[in-house]
Amino acid sequence: MIRQVNVLLDISGLTKNFGGLIAVDHLSMSVGEGQIVGLIGPNGAGKTTVFNLITGVIRPSSGKVEFDGKNVTGKSPHFLASSGIGRTFQLTPLFTDFTTLENVVASYYLHPRSGFWDSLFNTPTYRRNEAYALEQSLKILDLVGLGKVKDERAKNLPHGYQKMLGIARALAVQPRLLMLDEPLGGMNTDEISFTMDIMAKVRSLGMTILVIEHNMQILDLCDHVVAINFGQKIGEGSVEEIRNNPDVIKAYLGEQNVA
Amino acid sequence: MQTESLKKRRRNITIAILCVITGLLFALPLLGLSVYFMHTLIGVFIWIIVANSLRLLGLSGQGSIGHAAFMAIGAYTSAILAKFLGWSPWITMPIGVLVTVIVGFLVAVPFTRVRGIYFTMVSLFFGIGVLAINQVFNKWTGGYSGIISIPRLFAYVKNPYYYFCLALMVVCLLIMYRLEHSRIGLTWKAVAQSYSVASSIGINEAWQRILCLGVSCTFAAIAGVAYAHYYVILTQETFSFNTSINVFVYMTVGGAGLFAGPIAGTAVLLIIPEMLRDLREYVPFVYAAILLIVLFLMPQGLAGLPAQLWQLIRRPAKAKLTTSDDKAGKRAP
Amino acid sequence: MNMILTSTVNGLVLSAIYILVALGFGLQLSIMGIFNFAHGAVYMIGAYVTYGLSVALGLNQWVSLLISVILVGASGLFLEKFCFRPFQNKPTHMIVMAIALIMILETIVEVTLGGVTRALPAFVPGIFKAGSISVDNERVLAFAIGAVLLAAMTFLIQKTKIGQQMLAVAQDAEGAALQGIDTHRIAATATVIACATAALSGSLMATIFSMNPFMGDNILLKAIQVVILSGIGSIGGILVGGLIMGFLNAFLPVFINASVGEVITILIVLGILLVRPKGLFGYELF
Repeated sequence: MIRQVNVLLDISGLTKNFGGLIAVDHLSMSVGEGQIVGLIGPNGAGKTTVFNLITGVIRPSSGKVEFDGKNVTGKSPHFLASSGIGRTFQLTPLFTDFTTLENVVASYYLHPRSGFWDSLFNTPTYRRNEAYALEQSLKILDLVGLGKVKDERAKNLPHGYQKMLGIARALAVQPRLLMLDEPLGGMNTDEISFTMDIMAKVRSLGMTILVIEHNMQILDLCDHVVAINFGQKIGEGSVEEIRNNPDVIKAYLGEQNVA
Repeated sequence: MQTESLKKRRRNITIAILCVITGLLFALPLLGLSVYFMHTLIGVFIWIIVANSLRLLGLSGQGSIGHAAFMAIGAYTSAILAKFLGWSPWITMPIGVLVTVIVGFLVAVPFTRVRGIYFTMVSLFFGIGVLAINQVFNKWTGGYSGIISIPRLFAYVKNPYYYFCLALMVVCLLIMYRLEHSRIGLTWKAVAQSYSVASSIGINEAWQRILCLGVSCTFAAIAGVAYAHYYVILTQETFSFNTSINVFVYMTVGGAGLFAGPIAGTAVLLIIPEMLRDLREYVPFVYAAILLIVLFLMPQGLAGLPAQLWQLIRRPAKAKLTTSDDKAGKRAP
Repeated sequence: MNMILTSTVNGLVLSAIYILVALGFGLQLSIMGIFNFAHGAVYMIGAYVTYGLSVALGLNQWVSLLISVILVGASGLFLEKFCFRPFQNKPTHMIVMAIALIMILETIVEVTLGGVTRALPAFVPGIFKAGSISVDNERVLAFAIGAVLLAAMTFLIQKTKIGQQMLAVAQDAEGAALQGIDTHRIAATATVIACATAALSGSLMATIFSMNPFMGDNILLKAIQVVILSGIGSIGGILVGGLIMGFLNAFLPVFINASVGEVITILIVLGILLVRPKGLFGYELF
């Protein structure tokens, strides 16, 4: 299905070569504004590497990444964050010594941006910015259901809560593109449906989502799916098309049953 | 909502107590403080500035054992300009601080490329390196025996120095406190906990660490120039590796996790040996004893003692002598 | 020509001493993960025990050396259990602990024997002549002992069971514990070896140059420099790192000047830390 969508993120020929091991092999895909795009594939397919290439954590060996029409290939992670990309991490999603609330408030670094001297002298601008950050942080925490634990140390939170906090943090960046790295990992059924509700809600607020996931349940939410294995694209299309794609099914055989 | 007003009341009480203490300190000379004790306290004021600046640097996850080098750069610059060019210390002191800040930012660029224990090693050799450079240029710096007769700030009376250093310390502490508790400090603490997460929310973590080092060495330089024009003698021993380690010890023993920690550590470790100086060559035993007592019995340092005792009173069964942050068997990073 | 020969000899001697001290420091670092800043003080105490037994009490100097090595080495057991083990995961506390140790040890010496710079008489007095080269016998001895000890250490690590266990703990302490290796016993062994070699090199250094309660401070810095050069976690690389440091410290002060030489050495060390923190050999050379 071809919809006229504004392309927000465009990747062409993205390749990463780790001294002989080709982790990502000439991957091309795009994410349209307002879509939820799923990047699926078995373990070790290279999904997180793709994320890291897009968000500037590692440099691509070749290829191009364009965000909102601008070339952002190889730029640093904080540059991409200020361009409007927010991301979560699979394994260490938080500032462990901060409380839940502090985690989100700290993430309100970019918008609004207080200068060094404003912060030092506690100017009205600074105070206004901080009040805004606090207010918004509380709203986000309520949105993701973490309101009750806002004063808990992040490292004491149970796993599911930590993942939600990671999403809350990424939302604080007020991104146009939200990149989620295995958000459903290690969650039980209730947590999974809760997370997927959040994602739908976020999309209805105008955000675009690119999600890496192992768990096939995510397909229910996606508008468009890209499947990769061994760093290469093995399938792309709507959810129906992917579900019936023989290459995708083969890739997952031995891993888990396609839902 | 009760906890909110409770917190506010505790804050106001703390501020009130601090004002009283500060007022007392200012009033001490009028209450008949001996010149000898004034001399001791001036030293305490100066070293508190350095110890807290070391803690400030630690907020961004960078531990330095070469911080005295920044004091040295400021001190020697100001001393040389004042002594050999005849300029007033009031002019050379800001220049000394400015030069140190510039050097600080310049070396921060390569130094912040490394992290953790490697950064600490770099700081160690930076400290020694500055001393070695000092030796190379010993025509001006006096090499090992150093500079003497540095022009004074005030005349030969103690009082002005006391008030000056006390005021300097209060101002520096206020600024450092403000930095730590503003978004600036929040950002630094975020960088310390996770570079990758900090980057993902738009923090340029490399620049923040450079900024933190630059700000921290500013305060070290301020203490350094104050030192130079009060003690009027600078030698190779003044800002040696031992000095840097001592400041590090003041901070750690006082409790690196609390703002009051370096203050407590510096005060205790400078004043008690002074008070016991009649023990002469046995004083280091007392010093070492204090270190050992704090190491084994006070996991949060001296400044954490009130909280520790409070815990003991409230929940004697649960109070342990080790912190809950121990990760059994994990190697130090 | 004479200067080059003398400097080469000095370089070899310094290398031997540096290697001995750096080995102990490096052992404690890689096996227990601690920065034992007090290692220099142990080196110093070794020299003073030898001095005390031989000069003050009149015992035979070789016997004094032996007793010193054994005593100081054995004290490593106490140090490991009560001073290092509690702070294995806390480098900041370890530094404070080391400072406390240094203060105690240095003050003991100052209070009993005084802080005056002394010299320990040579173990093997006399001069060794080979062609146009003449060297103190003492320096030859120091070099010989250093070489023998290094060979012994290599043999220990590579051929004996306990050496292999030490290697295992150095690479992965948790894994080694899971394999049934008694990590505490290994840590104790490492500390004892470190203290013994420190006492030995301290005594040797006292005969070649001089001794005072603060001699440990300088040697500690040299040991750290050697370990950084060779790489944290590498024991064999210390041979190369020690040689480099020894020769730098022997040649630079003579051919340029002492302070510039020090600056150059520090720049090299800083360069390694900033560009290749793993050192020249990192974890690769045994």
